[in-house]
Amino acid sequence: MSAESELDLSEDERRGLELVRESGGIHQSDFWKELDVSSRKGSRIVDSLAEQDLINRNEAVYEGHNTYLLTPTAKDLDFSLLMAGDMLSPFVGDEEVNMHSDQFTQWLMNLAYEE
Amino acid sequence: MAFEEYLEDPVIQKYLHELVGPKGMPVAAAPPEGEVTDEELAEELGLELNDVRRALFILYENDLASYRRLRDEDSGWLTYLWTFEYDNIPEQLEGEMYELYEGLTDRREYELDHQFYLCEACGIRFEFEEAMDFDFECPDCGSQLESMENTALVDAMDDRIDALVDELNIDVNA
Repeated sequence: MSAESELDLSEDERRGLELVRESGGIHQSDFWKELDVSSRKGSRIVDSLAEQDLINRNEAVYEGHNTYLLTPTAKDLDFSLLMAGDMLSPFVGDEEVNMHSDQFTQWLMNLAYEE
Repeated sequence: MAFEEYLEDPVIQKYLHELVGPKGMPVAAAPPEGEVTDEELAEELGLELNDVRRALFILYENDLASYRRLRDEDSGWLTYLWTFEYDNIPEQLEGEMYELYEGLTDRREYELDHQFYLCEACGIRFEFEEAMDFDFECPDCGSQLESMENTALVDAMDDRIDALVDELNIDVNA
């Protein structure tokens, strides 16, 4: 589990992980600048975090050059966005998404009234 | 028991409950460490073997459990050894978030493209064309159908769509 491996991170890796989580997603070319480390060091930090599955790293084009988009893993997502009131997304466990189902309408009513 | 940190999350509890139902919940909510047979689980939890098997296969279909089969040399019987794979829960829920996003954006378009009429007595909503066919009278109770705003609904959908786009890093221009 990542909770254990997080204890073994270096200070820079910990800061890097925090940065990815807080930003919700950041390009590698911004990542090392924000961390105030060299690009080479930034790249080593990213390698290490990605290898431990603590962050996702996907190729991306950003401001005209090739870089990577660094994002938190699914584990860090806010799953409560599936809820409306105390109702879970009605699409859960269903093969097909029926946007006109009564259950989805009920879910939307919950969403509108919880505000 | 394993995977405590997941099981404490109320959304994950709801999710498991939605998948396996109330009868399967004792199985889904108490995943043991390592491998276990259906019979061991039934005995430990005091459940019918059929309910345990049903829950395990639902978890298997959702990538949340795996099994390997062993054949007893003497009796020829097959034993299923189950492993709970709850580390897949975050990816599964991420997939559900994408599904919800799709559902919301489709439904939002429908809400913006149509005008609605409401029977306040029955709480039933009709599209404009339907309402016109009924001469703006409720087919159930005969009450007058009133024009209905859906701005609050669309606003709520917009907020949740924005939150999902942000959380999932969806590229809305793609």
